[in-house]
Amino acid sequence: MPIFKVIQLLFSPRGGWQAIKQADFSVPQAFLGHTVLFALIPPVCGYIGTTRTGWSLGLDRPVRLTTESALQISVLYYGALLVATLSVAWAVHWMARTYGAKASFASGLVLATMTATPLFLVGFAQLMPEMWLNLVLGLPALAWTIALFYSGVPVMLDIPEERGFLLASAVLAFGLVALVAMMVVTVLLWGAGLAPTFTG
Amino acid sequence: MSATATTATATATAGETYNYKVIRQFAVMTMVWGVVGMLVGVIIAAQLAWPALNFDIPWLTYSRLRPLHTNAVIFAFGGCALFATSYYCVQRTCHVRLISDKLAAFTFWGWQAVIVLAAVTLPLGITTSKEYAELEWPIDILITLVWVAYAVVFLGTIVKRRVKHIYVANWFYAAFIVTVAILHVVNSAAIPVSFWKSYSAYAGVQDAMIQWWYGHNAVGFFLTAGFLGMMYYFVPKQAGRPVYSYRLSIVHFWALAFTYIWAGPHHLHYTALPDWAQSLGMVMSLILLAPSWGGMINGIMTLSGAWEKLRTDPVLRFLIVSISFYGMSTFEGPMMSIKTVNALSHYTDWTIGHVHSGALGWVALVSLGTMYYLIPRLFGRELYSLKLVEVHFWVSTVGIVLYITAMWVAGIMQGLMWRAVNTDGTLTYSFVESVQAMHPFYVIRFLGGALFLAGTLVMCWNLWRTVAGARTVEAPIPAPAH
Repeated sequence: MPIFKVIQLLFSPRGGWQAIKQADFSVPQAFLGHTVLFALIPPVCGYIGTTRTGWSLGLDRPVRLTTESALQISVLYYGALLVATLSVAWAVHWMARTYGAKASFASGLVLATMTATPLFLVGFAQLMPEMWLNLVLGLPALAWTIALFYSGVPVMLDIPEERGFLLASAVLAFGLVALVAMMVVTVLLWGAGLAPTFTG
Repeated sequence: MSATATTATATATAGETYNYKVIRQFAVMTMVWGVVGMLVGVIIAAQLAWPALNFDIPWLTYSRLRPLHTNAVIFAFGGCALFATSYYCVQRTCHVRLISDKLAAFTFWGWQAVIVLAAVTLPLGITTSKEYAELEWPIDILITLVWVAYAVVFLGTIVKRRVKHIYVANWFYAAFIVTVAILHVVNSAAIPVSFWKSYSAYAGVQDAMIQWWYGHNAVGFFLTAGFLGMMYYFVPKQAGRPVYSYRLSIVHFWALAFTYIWAGPHHLHYTALPDWAQSLGMVMSLILLAPSWGGMINGIMTLSGAWEKLRTDPVLRFLIVSISFYGMSTFEGPMMSIKTVNALSHYTDWTIGHVHSGALGWVALVSLGTMYYLIPRLFGRELYSLKLVEVHFWVSTVGIVLYITAMWVAGIMQGLMWRAVNTDGTLTYSFVESVQAMHPFYVIRFLGGALFLAGTLVMCWNLWRTVAGARTVEAPIPAPAH
């Protein structure tokens, strides 16, 4: 997926979505050309951050992981990001009919993956695992992602803005439920003895 | 219906009007107490981030203001919204005036007296120490009197109805009124030792179980069944179309009423409560997901057919997002009741986040959306500014998202830090280190809460401009259509 389209989208969403819609990307183009690459940023930077610098949680000593443990978590993290993107794409595709739109899986995937771009990019902040820095950069990125999603749905699915609002809200609710489910799975796995190993 | 029959019923109701006065009073006080309760919430959120903000004044300490916040938002703001909307719904769906104006006025003034007494006694440190039931016995007796009067007015009006059918919203309101009466009387049973001090009639783990049977059903019936009544009346009204599935709403009602009452023990996981009772509470909490989501689907599908109206009606956005949050928090709740998850999440800020996704996302948004519907109609005016409604919507929604995401991260971090152990078995972190690590999240939570309050203030300004100088409306009772 051409990088200038991504940049255009980030800075002028309305025109950006139109251009992306016209380019009519296929599933492999979107997934291999964008999702797989951009989703690498947070786990790779997270790996470097947690093993080299360590998270400072406002305490006197940073929290650092062993390389094996960090590698394991980064791989799981990467997998979770890919699954999350695919499941949002699936949710858009699945719910579209209720809201009078016909969305191919490809357009759902383009929507999901392009929308997540600010969150993928802010993954660079994990190179500097400072809680304040990550919050200050992460919150606007999250807000921008949500804004991109709301502006993208009507364009990509070719439905009136009002219907788009409803569909986007429904998918957002789905996303929040999925997020809670992921938190619960993490807690259960952690409790079952699959906790990371810390150094020092 | 034949023409002669219409004339006959029309004559039967000629000259009669609905009692809008008590609804107006409750609706206005909903907004007043909403601002007060949210403001106290923002103050205590700031105190958690910057503890010096209690200025070493006893009445301003977190421990005294926190129950003031919960009582103000739940019973004052939520309570007034429920009184107002239930009186509106029951009159309009039964085609009859409230059975007694005097008794209805007593419920208004009595309830305001309860709130004022709470606002005075709680900062003074007068408390039973039972969560959500902190008020001392003389106030509890007043609550009982007001509540019985409320039940008489509401149920009496249903008895006097001019239509055969009892609309489903009234079932939810009635269940809320009856159950809250039972919960309040049983849980507040106490032995007074002086005018402002009493001790619970129950001891030890029985006391804890009664308390959380009460506590969880205050959520289930006060904050859920009552507000579902609101949803089932005002969502179809605002959308201008009937409930998506009436059959589903009946199933929703009975399944919810049956299941909720058992879920309380999940507040007492890993305590002295017998293990079987904990497991029962957990299983019932998991089952509760089904009726909750049935209700959510019913609400969402009712609204999704009204999408064309979104262009001209920003109030619909409040209702849509509130039902989405209802769905999210009723998924989160059962998950957190699973014992292994609860082992981590209990006593952390994850619980606070969960409560607020329900309280701000569901209860407050559906109430505020309903007030946007109700207040202009009660004063015979059009809403002053639709643009401001949209501003309110976005400011509040961003506030909620900041609040709950901050609490999610904070809660999981607390849980993990508390259970982290070194290889020699000692704790990795002291408790105060986990408190220290919370600082950034508490600042974000404060910002989220402040945004929500700001949105509510925008709404108050909008409503003020709407009703300023307006005359009150008398609505004639239309003839029922059969």
